[in-house]
Amino acid sequence: MLIEQILASSLILTTPILLAAMGGLVNRQAGIVNIGLEAKMLSGAFVAVIVSSATQSWLIACLAAALSSAVIGWLFSLTITRAHANMIVAGLGLNILVAGVLGFILSWFYKTSGTLRQPDVVLLPNVLPSAIENIPVVGLVLASLDPLTLFAWITVFCLPFVLANTRIGLWIRATGNAGHVSCAVGLRGLAIQDASTAFAGFFAGLAGAHLALASLGLFNEGLTAGRGFIALAAFYFGRDRPIQTAMACLLFGFLDTTQIRLQTAGFPPKLIGMTPYLMVLLALIFTSIRAQRKARI
Amino acid sequence: MNKSVAERGIGILLPLVVAVIISGIVLLAIGKNPLDVFSLIVAESFGNARRIAATLSAATPLLFTAVATAVCFRSGVFNVGVEGAFLVGGLAAVFLGFTLPAQLYFALLPLCFAFAALVGAIWLYVPGMLLAKWEVDEVVSTLMLNFIAVAITGYLVNGPLLSPQSGNNVTPLIHQVAYLPRLMPPSTLHAGFLIGLVCVAVYGFWCRYTAAGFEGALVGQNKRFSRAVGISVPRTIMGVMILSGLIAGIGGAAHGLGQMHRFSDGFSPGYGFTGIAVALLGRNHPVGIVFGAILFGALASAGTTIQLFSNIPLDLVNIIQGTVMIFAVVGLRKITFRRKKETVHAD
Repeated sequence: MLIEQILASSLILTTPILLAAMGGLVNRQAGIVNIGLEAKMLSGAFVAVIVSSATQSWLIACLAAALSSAVIGWLFSLTITRAHANMIVAGLGLNILVAGVLGFILSWFYKTSGTLRQPDVVLLPNVLPSAIENIPVVGLVLASLDPLTLFAWITVFCLPFVLANTRIGLWIRATGNAGHVSCAVGLRGLAIQDASTAFAGFFAGLAGAHLALASLGLFNEGLTAGRGFIALAAFYFGRDRPIQTAMACLLFGFLDTTQIRLQTAGFPPKLIGMTPYLMVLLALIFTSIRAQRKARI
Repeated sequence: MNKSVAERGIGILLPLVVAVIISGIVLLAIGKNPLDVFSLIVAESFGNARRIAATLSAATPLLFTAVATAVCFRSGVFNVGVEGAFLVGGLAAVFLGFTLPAQLYFALLPLCFAFAALVGAIWLYVPGMLLAKWEVDEVVSTLMLNFIAVAITGYLVNGPLLSPQSGNNVTPLIHQVAYLPRLMPPSTLHAGFLIGLVCVAVYGFWCRYTAAGFEGALVGQNKRFSRAVGISVPRTIMGVMILSGLIAGIGGAAHGLGQMHRFSDGFSPGYGFTGIAVALLGRNHPVGIVFGAILFGALASAGTTIQLFSNIPLDLVNIIQGTVMIFAVVGLRKITFRRKKETVHAD
């Protein structure tokens, strides 16, 4: 019973990180490190709550969240590709700007600080009928499967193929790995980078929608709690490969789940929360040393 | 040369102008007259001696974090870990401030500062060494270290260093003798501000008149050339990272000993990140940094009163800060729309 619960909640907590990481991974393959994922997740969560309450449809809410974040991502990309802003600083700036705008909207239009509750927010439905819960071990996992989680995992298994075998995938990788070459063969590198950032925004928006609509049904300024950065950590850890990145996300989702349980067992929660960041640091050191050894040989 | 001065001027003004326009639009959207609000901000932050003191007090931590950022940025090292070094430095100083015996009197303050500088320097030495030795991407490593710093300090103030009296997220108060003196008693402006100015001045001197400072700038402009003329790039990178950590640590100490008198969760509401905005706005120039720090200090100190009196959310300050950060790094004259000029940005 306990294992079932841990599995199910790990899967659900993984989804937002996974969605954001898939977008960020494609973005980085195209040569842009997206520090602004956090901002786009937050705006996605906000839009999802508002639209879900207004339209009574989780599907429209998710689409609205994804599209609005994609637009933000595209605009953000323009400052990098066309106006030559440094992507790191601009990304940090975007995080502050979006948090500021949302906080402003919250306290001015909704007269609330921090948390926004809307009436009749429609949550994400379960994909499978609840009877499936009776299957041992995986039953609870399957029963709690929501459409975005399903979509995220479909993406994980489609992306390797798309990146390796389709024209668009090759364009993206060529742009990121050999800008001059892609330019020389007539690809519109900047447009491809813009599109990939919009794509990352789209997925970050979905990630935000999942955070808001999976079980909470409300928006909070601290809802993302650094998950955009954990997603960044995940695709650095997975070296931009979808499957490996997804495994890292699962691990972080699992840590997120066990954090609460370990806390009751006496482990300090703050130190457990530190693990993803520490792991990335170690992974980064490891891969850099290996890359340098290879270069020497 | 005139052209470059003009360019510099535009470079400093552009982000401010864009920020004013964007916040103006936001204010118009909620039916407030932007001019009224801006003049209220000016009056609230510079209206009289007391308000100026509040502004300078708010600018104090930014002086340190901006210099710590600028030291690295001008060498082309994208260190975004000043926030973390500020936190660990602050905690280090406060820790000595309440554990060492109060009988040390005047020896206590320098001890606290030295320890904070040491801890800050070690904190940023790690990513500096990783970058210099193994080319570990400094942006990600310092970003991750920020989270680790928040976690470690958060754990310490909730656990081993928790104050027995007031049991929520704070350390005990430091000894009275370790307090930095207040400059204008009713206000919180403290001697840390002067230390900050000294830091900026030393930074300016270092940039301009020392070989190390010159080498740092050279590495930032052209690594291959630096290598060719015999400058050790790894050593320069490690040097600026250590220097950055040192300054950030001292900044944390000044904030802890002058302002807070203890360490708590939320010790730094993003001073490290605002410091990045200040350094960018001031184009790493010492005078620019002082102006930038005072500007953001003014926004922070006026923001609270503006929210009280005219009901405009404090988040306006964040909107301005975010806009400044994005547009401070925009290369105005390099804006490209045509395909002909396209160059792809690799990371």
